[in-house]
Amino acid sequence: MTNRENLFKGFVKENPLFVSVLGMCPSLAVSTSLENGLGMGLGVFFVLTLSNLIISLIMSNEKLAALVKPVRIPVYIVVIATLVTIVEMLMHAFIPDLYKSLGVFIPLIVVNCIILGRAEAFASSNTPKDAALDGMGMALGFTGAIAIIAIFREFLGAGTITVWGNLVINLTGLFDFIGITPIGIFVQPAGAFLSFGLILGTITAIGNKNAAKKLAKEALANG
Amino acid sequence: MNSGLKSGLVLLVLGIICGTLLAVVNSLTAETIANNELIEKNAVLEEFYNLNNYDLEEKTFESDEVSTIYVLKEKGTDNINAIIYQVAATGYNGPITMLIAVNSDYSIEGYTVLTHSEDPGFGADIVEKDFLIESVTDLDPFDSVAGVTYTSNGILGCFEIVAARAGQDFGGGLDD
Repeated sequence: MTNRENLFKGFVKENPLFVSVLGMCPSLAVSTSLENGLGMGLGVFFVLTLSNLIISLIMSNEKLAALVKPVRIPVYIVVIATLVTIVEMLMHAFIPDLYKSLGVFIPLIVVNCIILGRAEAFASSNTPKDAALDGMGMALGFTGAIAIIAIFREFLGAGTITVWGNLVINLTGLFDFIGITPIGIFVQPAGAFLSFGLILGTITAIGNKNAAKKLAKEALANG
Repeated sequence: MNSGLKSGLVLLVLGIICGTLLAVVNSLTAETIANNELIEKNAVLEEFYNLNNYDLEEKTFESDEVSTIYVLKEKGTDNINAIIYQVAATGYNGPITMLIAVNSDYSIEGYTVLTHSEDPGFGADIVEKDFLIESVTDLDPFDSVAGVTYTSNGILGCFEIVAARAGQDFGGGLDD
């Protein structure tokens, strides 16, 4: 695979959230506002890129890989947990507001299936450069997906979109114009499932339609 | 040496490396984190009283319930005007720490939740609520919230701790 493919496959084709449906717990929990989603994405980007790189570096050394193989899952977890703890401490020190709103979900990045999944499925059997690109792409895909859910939820649930800090797009006027109030349940935990279901359903429907079109075209071409 | 032992040793070495790394990052960030918390706490204290008008005395305790009290005395005298308590009680997911500011007539000047780990959308939503308590001598008006009993009880618990010791403190107790 080329560098481009390695980077971009996480965006749409193998999107961790909408295609692989990995890492649901943190994404449903922090997608209450766009700001939280982007913050979570930032943390995951740092952890996933570095964990993929480090694990690939360990596993691409043949001698070391042979030793690590029987204990590879604990090795992955030690690496990932260290990175996450570093992120947590840095965030606590330098972005305290974000640290507060993400709360318990920062340490939970450790058990985010995307990170362990990419370590086992990709980083352990690819070169460090490919693994790092894969990590970046997957993290950006994850951030994009979580941003979509967050915008959907926050817009429907509160009528606002909190981009970052005080930068809030207020769209409540739109609700007033139609004559309804924002639907509070969408910012509640239950609303996360509703939103995710609706978005995933839409994406799958579009995917199916495209696939059907492609099949029809092929059938026509083959006579 | 058998391979299992070797693998274990590799894991051990990795653990030591990672542990050292964490210790380094921790030592670099610990000061900033402590500073941030101090600035934030002073900002909160300023919300209740103008600290320039009082002599501020800070007392820290080893207790889990009352970790710090800030005694505001009239300038140059020993008259206690107000005490701000930093107290903790158990909520649903862990401790809820609050600052509760009490005047010398036992009326409550204000209160705020410093830290908590309640669930977003449930307990986390009510910590900013007005709990209708106006004096530590009368906790009956406490407005508990249905559905988030544990969080409510945690917050009531904080008030109870203050209520239990406020009399003694204004009498000059100020002990653990």
